[in-house]
Amino acid sequence: MFVLLQDVQKHSVHTLVFRSLKRTHDMFVSDHAKAVALDDQSYKMKMAVKMRAEYKPVLHMPVLKEGRERGPLHASDPYGQLGYPLPGALPDYLVTGTHPYPSAPGVALTAETQMQKMPFLNSGLLPRKAPTMPKPQWHPPWKLYRVISGHLGWVRSIAVEPGNQWFVTGSADRTIKIWDLASGKLKLSLTGHISTVRGVAVSTRSPYLFSCGEDKQVKCWDLEYNKVIRHYHGHLSAVYDLDLHPTIDVLVTCSRDATARVWDIRSKANVHTLSGHTNTVATVKCQSAEPQVVTGSHDTTIRLWDLVAGKTRATLTNHKKSVRALVLHPRQYTFASGSPDNIKQWKCPDGNFIQNLSGHNAIINTLAVNSDGVLVSGADNGTIHMWDWRTGYNFQRIHAAVQPGSLDSESGIFACVFDQSESRLITAEADKTIKVYKEDDTATEESHPVNWKPEILKRKRF
Amino acid sequence: ILSRLQRSQSTALVSTRREPPPYGFRKSWVPRSLEDFGDGGAFPEIHVAQFPLEMGRKKRTSNALAVQVDAEGKIKYDAIARQGQNKDKVIFSKYTDMLPKEVLNEDDPELQKPDEEAVQELTEKTRSALEKQVSQKIAAAMPVRAADKLAPAQYIRYTPSQQGLAFNSGAKQRVIRMVEMQKDPMEPPRFKINKKIPRGPPSPPAPVMHSPSRKMTVKEQQEWKIPPCISNWKNAKGYTIPLDKRLAADGRGLQTVHINENFAKLAEALYIADRKAREAVEMRAQVEKKMAQKEKEKKEEKLRELAKMARDRRAGIKAHGGEDTEVRERDEIRHDRRKERQHDRNISRAAPDKRSKLQRDQDRDISELIALGQPNPRTSSEAQYDQRLFNQNKGMDSGFAGGEDEMYNVYDQPFRGGRDMAQNIYRPTKSADKDMYGDDLDTLMQSNRFVPDREFSGADHGPRRDGPVQFEEDPFGLDKFLEEAKQHGGSKRASTSGRSKDYDHEKKRRKE
Repeated sequence: MFVLLQDVQKHSVHTLVFRSLKRTHDMFVSDHAKAVALDDQSYKMKMAVKMRAEYKPVLHMPVLKEGRERGPLHASDPYGQLGYPLPGALPDYLVTGTHPYPSAPGVALTAETQMQKMPFLNSGLLPRKAPTMPKPQWHPPWKLYRVISGHLGWVRSIAVEPGNQWFVTGSADRTIKIWDLASGKLKLSLTGHISTVRGVAVSTRSPYLFSCGEDKQVKCWDLEYNKVIRHYHGHLSAVYDLDLHPTIDVLVTCSRDATARVWDIRSKANVHTLSGHTNTVATVKCQSAEPQVVTGSHDTTIRLWDLVAGKTRATLTNHKKSVRALVLHPRQYTFASGSPDNIKQWKCPDGNFIQNLSGHNAIINTLAVNSDGVLVSGADNGTIHMWDWRTGYNFQRIHAAVQPGSLDSESGIFACVFDQSESRLITAEADKTIKVYKEDDTATEESHPVNWKPEILKRKRF
Repeated sequence: ILSRLQRSQSTALVSTRREPPPYGFRKSWVPRSLEDFGDGGAFPEIHVAQFPLEMGRKKRTSNALAVQVDAEGKIKYDAIARQGQNKDKVIFSKYTDMLPKEVLNEDDPELQKPDEEAVQELTEKTRSALEKQVSQKIAAAMPVRAADKLAPAQYIRYTPSQQGLAFNSGAKQRVIRMVEMQKDPMEPPRFKINKKIPRGPPSPPAPVMHSPSRKMTVKEQQEWKIPPCISNWKNAKGYTIPLDKRLAADGRGLQTVHINENFAKLAEALYIADRKAREAVEMRAQVEKKMAQKEKEKKEEKLRELAKMARDRRAGIKAHGGEDTEVRERDEIRHDRRKERQHDRNISRAAPDKRSKLQRDQDRDISELIALGQPNPRTSSEAQYDQRLFNQNKGMDSGFAGGEDEMYNVYDQPFRGGRDMAQNIYRPTKSADKDMYGDDLDTLMQSNRFVPDREFSGADHGPRRDGPVQFEEDPFGLDKFLEEAKQHGGSKRASTSGRSKDYDHEKKRRKE
C-alpha cells in the first residue's frame, strides 16, 4: 500500500490532453517526418517472401539496364522504396517525389532527378536543424505621457523632421500644424488646403514639406518662407498618402483614383502613373532598394513596382480585406502590411511571405516599426497593439482614453510614427489629439513577463 | 516444383500486340493505325505521313496550354498564371508560397538589405532613367528652340552574306554611313493624340493566395438562417390580400351591430332635461319681467306724484293771477312753448355730439337717401321739368367752349356747396388715435418704462421730447439779447451795451 506524500494536482481533461500532446510533440518534433528505422534482418526476410510470392515467374528474367544503374544504391530491390533511409545519405534528405523513376524514358539520371528535398511540413516555426521554439525578445511596455490638443478636426497624418526638433501634423480641419517635439507646443499653423490633409512628409534632402489632401492637391511648402511653392496637378480624386524617395528627388503619391503617381519634385512633371490597382490605393512606401515603391490598396492586394519602367513587379494577393497600412523595416530587408484580418510580414525584393501576425481584429489604419524590433499597429477603434517583429508576439495592448469632452466612440488612430531617436511614439487620433508614448523605464522582465504560447494545436488543415 | 516451372516456361503466353516489322523488313509495309507503331514513333524511311500517338495532326485552335515540365521534373502548373508574361516575372501560385517561413535570427544574411554599392548603383540607374523621362516630358511642353545638333556620323562596315561578282560589284564588304535624320524644329506634331480609345486589357490577374475558407459548422449555418418574409397584407405574388382573407380577419364585418339601448335613453333624457331647462328659464324671465314692470309702474307713480306736486306748487303760486280761461289758456300755451325751448336747450346742452336729424340727413350719401326714400319728399302737382333743360346753350357753345382745353366746364355748380365745408375741416379730437393706441394715449406717452435704471457710462441722455419738433435752448442767446434790447430800449444803445457786455463777459470768461 502506498501513501501519497503529496496530493496529485487536479487538472482538467483538456490540460492533461494538451500536456501529453505537447510532450509527444517535443519528443518527436525533429524526426517525426522520418520513417521508423527498419531492422535489417526482418527487412530482408520480408523482401524475400514478397518476391517469391508475387514475382516468382519472372525472377529469372534479366534486370533492366536502367535498374542496374540504380543497383548500387538500392541493394536488394529493383523497385526502390519510398522512405527508406539511404545509407550514407544525410538524414535530412529523403527520396520523395512524384515517382522514383525519372519523368521521361531516356532522360539521364542526375542528382536533381534522383533526390528531392522534402518540402517543409506545416509550421515554419520548426526549422529542421534547431527544433526549439523561437523566444521573443523582451520589450519594455509603452505608456502614454503626453496629450497634445489643438486641432479642430481629426488628426490624419504625422511626420517627424529629420533633425528631430519638430513634427508636423495634418488634420481634417484643413490645417497643417508644426509642433515642437520636446515640449509639445504649437510652433506654426499652415493653411492652404481646402479639404482634409491626408498625408504629410518632410524631405531629408531639402527644406521642403509635402502635403496632400482630399481636395486632390499635392503641395510643396518651402519651410524657409512657410509658403506653398509648388503644386503637383494630375490626380483625379482624393490623394490619400504620399512618400518621398530617400535618395532620388522624387515624390510618390497615391490616390482614390486607383493610381499612384511618381512626380519629379523640381519640375512638377508626372513621371510615371502606376496603374494596376482596381480600387483606392490607401498607402504607399518608397525605399532605395528594390522594390522601390510598394503600394497597398482597398482591392486587398499589395503591388511592388519597378520605378524605372513604371510597371508592377509583383502582386501579393494574400490579404482578404483592404490593406490600409504598410511599413518598411529600417534595418532588415522586409516589410509588413496591415489589414483587418491579419498583419503580414514579407521579404523584399520579391515579396515572399514570411509570417502572419494575427490578433488585432480591427481595421488597422497604421503601422510603425522600431529599430529594436517593436512593431506598432494602430486601429480604427482606438487600440494599439505592440508586437515583437521577429516572432510576431503581441506584448502589449493599449487603448488610451479619449480626451475629456469627446465621445467614447471618437477613439481611433489614423497615423503613428516613431521619432528619429525611436524612443517616442507619436500617434494622431480621432479625438483631435496627438498622443505621445514612451517606454516605461520601471518595467523589467519580471514585472512584465513574456507569455509566449505559440499555437501548436491549431496547425491543422482548414 | 521445378518441372512445373519448366512447363510454365514452355507454355508461356504469346503477346497479342502486333509489332512492326523489324528494320530491314519494312519494304512494302505502311503503318496505318495506332497499334502499327507499337511502342515507338514514326518510321522516317516510309514516306507516308504518320501520326504516332496522334501527335502532329492539325488541331482546331484550342486555348489549352501544352504541359511543361521544369528542371526538377515537376509539371509547371503555374504556366496558366504566367501565360502572357515574362518568364521571370515574380508570380506566387504555389501552396508553399502561402505558408509561413521559419523565424530567422535578426542577423541572418537572408534578411539583410543589399549593400551600399548595389543600392547606389540602382539609385543611379533609376535616377538617370527618370531624368530621361522627365526631360522628354518637359521638352514636349517647352517652346520651340533651335534645331538640335545631331552630329553623329556613324560608319558601319557590313559584310553581306550573298557574295559574288554580281553582288556589290565584286567587293567583299560595304561601308555604310549612318546619319540621324534632321528633325524640323518648326514642325507641328505629326499625330493626333486627342483621340480617346478604350484602355487595353489589364495584365492577367495574379493568383489569389487565400487560405481555403473554413468549414462551416451546422450551428453557424443555423445562426444565419433568415426566416422568409410573410406579409400580413400582401400575398407572395405581391397582390394585396382582401380584407376578409387576412390573417387578422376574425369575422369583424359579418356580425350585425348591436347598439346598447342606454344610448337612446341617454338621448331622451337629455332632450327632456333641455326642455325643462328652457321652460324654467322662460318662467323665470317672465317673472322677472313682471317684477320689473311693477317696479317701473311704481317709479312712474312716484314721478307722477312729484310732477303733480311740482305742478301744483307752480299752479298754486300762479293761482293768484287771473282765473280767466283764456288767460289761462294763453298762459298754458306760453308755458308749453317755454318748456319746449327749455327742453331743446337741455338736449343740445346734454348731447352736443348727437347730431340732429337734419344734420344726419345732410351727411348721407345720395344712394342712402334714395334707399331711405328721402331725396324727393315733395311731389308737386305741376309737371316738373329737369332744370338741366333750362338755361342751356346748345349747339356750338355746348361745352365745346371754342376749343379751349384749359377751361373746366363740366360742372357749373358745386355738388353740395360749401355749407358743410367748415364741418369737413380736420379738427383733431382728443381720442383721434383711439383705434391705434387705445384710450389712454397720454398715459402711454408719459410712461417711464423704457428708461433704464442704470445707464451706460458716457451715454448722453438727451432731453425728452414733448412734440414732433423739439426746439433746443437757443445757443446764441438771441432771445435774451432781444429781451434786453426791448428793455433798455432808448436809454442805452442796446447793441453796444449788449455787445460790450458780451465782450466783457467773454473776456472775463477767457481770463477765467
